[in-house]
Amino acid sequence: MRGYLLARLRHMVPVVLGVVTVVFLLIHLIPGDPVEIMLGESALAAQKEELRRELHLDRPVVIQYGEFLLGLAKGDLGTSFRSREPVLREILRRVPATFLLSAASILVALLVAVPLGVLSALKQHSLLDHLSGFLAMLGLSMPNFWLGPLLILIFSLELGLFPVSGYGTAGHLVLPAVTMGTGMAAILMRMLRSSLLEEIRQDYVRAACARGLSRRAAVVRHALANSLIPVLTVMGLQFGALLSGSIITETIFSWPGIGRLTIQAIEARDYPLVQGCILFIAICTVIVNLLTDLLYSRLDPRIRYE
Amino acid sequence: MSNVGHRPLFLCLPFALAAAFLSCCTPRLPVDEGTLVIALPGAPSSIDPRLATDAYGTQILQMTHASLIRMDAAGNPVPDLAEHWEERSPTEIVFRLREGIRFHDGRVLSSADVRYTFAWILDPANRSPHRATYEMIQSIATPDPRTVIFRLTEPFAPFLAGMVRGIVPAGSPPAGYSPSIGAGPYRVDDFQQDAAISLSRFPGYYGSAPGIDRVIVKFLPDDNVRFLELKKGSVNFVLNGVDPHLLPAVLENEHLVMEEAPGSNASYLGFNLRDPVLSDVRVRRAIAFAIDREAILRTLWEGHADPADSILAPGFWAHADGIPPVRHDPSEAGRLLDSAGYRDPDGDGPRPRFRLTYKTSQNELRRQIAAVIQEQLRQVGIALEIRSFEWGTFFSDIRKGNFQLYSLTWVGIQDPDIYYYAFHSGQVPPQGANRGGYRNPELDRLVEKGRREPSRRKRKEIYRKVQVLLARDLPVFPLWINRNILVRDRRFSGFVITPDEDYTSVKAMSLSPKKGR
Repeated sequence: MRGYLLARLRHMVPVVLGVVTVVFLLIHLIPGDPVEIMLGESALAAQKEELRRELHLDRPVVIQYGEFLLGLAKGDLGTSFRSREPVLREILRRVPATFLLSAASILVALLVAVPLGVLSALKQHSLLDHLSGFLAMLGLSMPNFWLGPLLILIFSLELGLFPVSGYGTAGHLVLPAVTMGTGMAAILMRMLRSSLLEEIRQDYVRAACARGLSRRAAVVRHALANSLIPVLTVMGLQFGALLSGSIITETIFSWPGIGRLTIQAIEARDYPLVQGCILFIAICTVIVNLLTDLLYSRLDPRIRYE
Repeated sequence: MSNVGHRPLFLCLPFALAAAFLSCCTPRLPVDEGTLVIALPGAPSSIDPRLATDAYGTQILQMTHASLIRMDAAGNPVPDLAEHWEERSPTEIVFRLREGIRFHDGRVLSSADVRYTFAWILDPANRSPHRATYEMIQSIATPDPRTVIFRLTEPFAPFLAGMVRGIVPAGSPPAGYSPSIGAGPYRVDDFQQDAAISLSRFPGYYGSAPGIDRVIVKFLPDDNVRFLELKKGSVNFVLNGVDPHLLPAVLENEHLVMEEAPGSNASYLGFNLRDPVLSDVRVRRAIAFAIDREAILRTLWEGHADPADSILAPGFWAHADGIPPVRHDPSEAGRLLDSAGYRDPDGDGPRPRFRLTYKTSQNELRRQIAAVIQEQLRQVGIALEIRSFEWGTFFSDIRKGNFQLYSLTWVGIQDPDIYYYAFHSGQVPPQGANRGGYRNPELDRLVEKGRREPSRRKRKEIYRKVQVLLARDLPVFPLWINRNILVRDRRFSGFVITPDEDYTSVKAMSLSPKKGR
């Protein structure tokens, strides 16, 4: 297990480095001059040149890349062009909001997907099954830019239950979490249903029932745990995506997360901040996937990592 | 299995409990607590007057920081920190500060703070984006705590417009996103980057005490969310942040009221004069004649903008009256194109006289405007290809001269010296904003004279000639001037809408007594 973990951690390095390299090249290739954006059009040409030299933007991209890697090796992500603050501090400031929204979205997705997925599998072809299938289709079909304002309209304007947008209280969290969690709930629900349907037809479930266990107990104690493995895979991938932030949801609800920070950094051509954000997202995604793999062995003792 | 199926209601329990809990916690509306909640369409990149460049940062600074002078609605300088000023010579301006002014942290504001603020901006090591604005300052003398003397390298008429810069305490370093300390009517209590800033009345403010104790500025980039927040009452003040099409729906809320006043933001169509087709003034005039601005303003702006004859708004002191307006006249456009040698190859048929590319941002309204212009130009035989880009890419292309046609808006014009910056032949990027590459020695001479001339009366005459010249040559086609639209809770009153969207008069606002909500 330890060897496996070390090997996976070793594999993380080229993946993260690859992502960061591609982003570094792309952000330098797209049009847009950070100096023009920082100083504005009215700045003197000499002043712009001076700043370009100071930020090392006058050097060849290869040299800039080398300097970036060198800084990275020392744990220095650089300083944001826009705010003049260390990139790491900028990112860490957004991390709590991002994690909070991601975790709440997962919670919403699980609260909806697990009961409905289990019930749909146990009562296959029933009205409830059809209804949950319809709800899953609905959840998948509704884009966040539409669902978010719709939820605001109903729960904030009409019912007055939650604030329209913002950050800071439990009430502020509900609508963005439901917006982001809905699509994931739909995927997880259908995944759990099909996975559980497969499991409850297995011999070991039948054998458990033959040994006197009630069908409900056999499903909950044995089949459900096994059916969770594919669900966990999807959840891991989705959680990684959530951590990278949903720009649309964060914009609608004015949620100060990583997604908005990344977009603002791209718009301002704030190269160090863009690279820092992408690095954070890549590391989070890889770590979540690793944790997902490790959780497999907890769910199914037959899975061993050597 | 069946006993599992009989319990679907338990699923609803957590949601019902959560809803019940949160409904108990839902606060009263801000207006009930006397709080003014302003929504801005974006978050500021800095709340430091030495660094802030975007409109959002500037608008917050107008509430939190005091400057030597302010500009009134007509663009005239009025006292703020300086109780009076005197131009001893065209290159020496003396400001006399009011007595007993304090910063939010209790320190007394003196001439040393004024000198420090401008010296910091001028120090190349500090990389201030405003350095170029003050390049003409040769020295700043502070003979006593209340006197500041600016000496300039040469006469510079727009100098006073640059004195609308918030003053910070001497020795204060810029602290990233953290707001700097000011001496304005409101002080910052809390700043949540990208979410909101909370301000409270500064008891030590030198002027009349603000009528509203607490102001919250929310940063809401989504148009629909700003609309919904207003409808709900959790935002009660939006200046130019409501989509014109949504205004009737907003005003269904009986507590909201709309005010409309002249604006100064001028939208224009830019031509690349280095382009072989567009270098011919007849083609540029033909395009102007082909565009039906009235139709665009009626349908897309819902009438909340007026056709422009100049990039200066009609109420601005330097605006030239009597410039003949360009009216929609497709026949005249056709005649001009024929005379320029671009005959229609098949009359009313599908083949165009020539093709052009029009670049714009990804803003939805801008794209709709582009589509209407495309159709209007098609009617005179010009095929227009619309290309919309993310802002950074779009602006980079415009700066590099990589365009044929584009449209943009000039915002916050404080002085007619804008004409130097936008049309002088020495201001072709990367130095200035003459993006179309317009070159005219006569205009160069006029705008150079205009920035040196201290007499406003003479400047007005100079800039009248400039505007006549530009109306003839048409290096850009002024499209329209947007009106400023304020939607506010009717219980908050006293705000004065200025053409440049100045938030200074928030301090003059008051809350009328509650009449049952």
